[in-house]
Amino acid sequence: MRTTTRVLLSMAVAGLLSDTNALAARAVRGSANTSVNRNVNVNRNANVNVNRNVNVNVHGGYRGGYYGGYGCCYHPVATAAAVTAAAVVTAAVVGSIVNSIPPSCTSVVVNGFAYQQCGSTWYQPQFAGTTTTYVVVNAPR
Amino acid sequence: MRHLGPAAGLLLALATFPPLVSAQTATPATVTPAIEPQAMAALNAMGAYLRTLKAFQVRAATTTEDVLDDGEKVQYAAVTDLLAQAPNRLRVEVVSDQQQRMYFYDGKSFTLFAQRVGYYATVPAPPTTVELVDRLDEKYGIEVPLVDLFRWGGPRASAADIKSAADIGPSVVEGTTCEHYAFRQPGLDWQIWIQQGDYPLPRKLVLTTLTDEARPQHTAVYTWNATPSFNDAAFTFDPPSDAQKIVFTEASATAGAVKK
Repeated sequence: MRTTTRVLLSMAVAGLLSDTNALAARAVRGSANTSVNRNVNVNRNANVNVNRNVNVNVHGGYRGGYYGGYGCCYHPVATAAAVTAAAVVTAAVVGSIVNSIPPSCTSVVVNGFAYQQCGSTWYQPQFAGTTTTYVVVNAPR
Repeated sequence: MRHLGPAAGLLLALATFPPLVSAQTATPATVTPAIEPQAMAALNAMGAYLRTLKAFQVRAATTTEDVLDDGEKVQYAAVTDLLAQAPNRLRVEVVSDQQQRMYFYDGKSFTLFAQRVGYYATVPAPPTTVELVDRLDEKYGIEVPLVDLFRWGGPRASAADIKSAADIGPSVVEGTTCEHYAFRQPGLDWQIWIQQGDYPLPRKLVLTTLTDEARPQHTAVYTWNATPSFNDAAFTFDPPSDAQKIVFTEASATAGAVKK
């Protein structure tokens, strides 16, 4: 019972910290091009997203669980992913990048930039393209 | 056997009929020139017209497909609101299933704001919107929403890449009569619906990506306002008190992971 509560809490908090609202990661091999007129570097635009793990929105986040096809909270992949995400805390390697961070982190501003301190692990949020990701960094102070 | 006899004869008749029809209709298609000059002329006229606009506001309802590893396609929807003033003011808001983003450019700096998480990043920007969209793409891997609107009619338009261009015919988009064109270029088939008459604006766009056998599509339907009302503050980001500043990763760092 205690474990169950904890998982639900982590789902809720992670939903707040990651605006992609997603706890289930699925392997996405590519996306549709969204522009006709490519830049000089044609290849980069064509498939930026090769083998990226993109969050399929199982959990609705702020806007609630409105994904009719999947339902909000009953998807088995979502639950499994939530547990995995929470378990990652202890083994964070500097330089590794995650899509969302564990619950109960503290937001800290150092030299004007935001960090998230999660126990002894520090995450720096960043925009990778337009997606927010978190890179594990050494303690900034 | 008695029952099957007449039925089988009917099926045979049906089966032989369609090939005759397609053989007749297929013949003219092969002699059609790959690039119809009027289709290229219409595309160029639209680009030239876009470049004359001093300010515009456009709302685009878009859908974009992702392809999962097993080939299954998943479609996402978004609404983009874009306000641009030539040559160097831009404000965009994108609300999609996955994220909400705001883009601010005032001719001096560029800010991306992720409203739901309260993060933003600001960097110095080049002096024009046309240069900005290239810089963001090259340096930060950010494709400005509806970026084609800034590239058609300019040096980065894909006209030289087009291998096939066809005028499909008239078509009505959201009550506006348009001419529908289809183009092919390496890795991409695309269709555009251009408003008929004196204001040749793009009203609809469909992209079919050919580099993945699942052929994911992107669609956009545009609603235009050629006389937007705004003030200069619209283009400058004023961070909410609870917003926090973060950084952009540079595209070379993220592209390295792709190794393609």
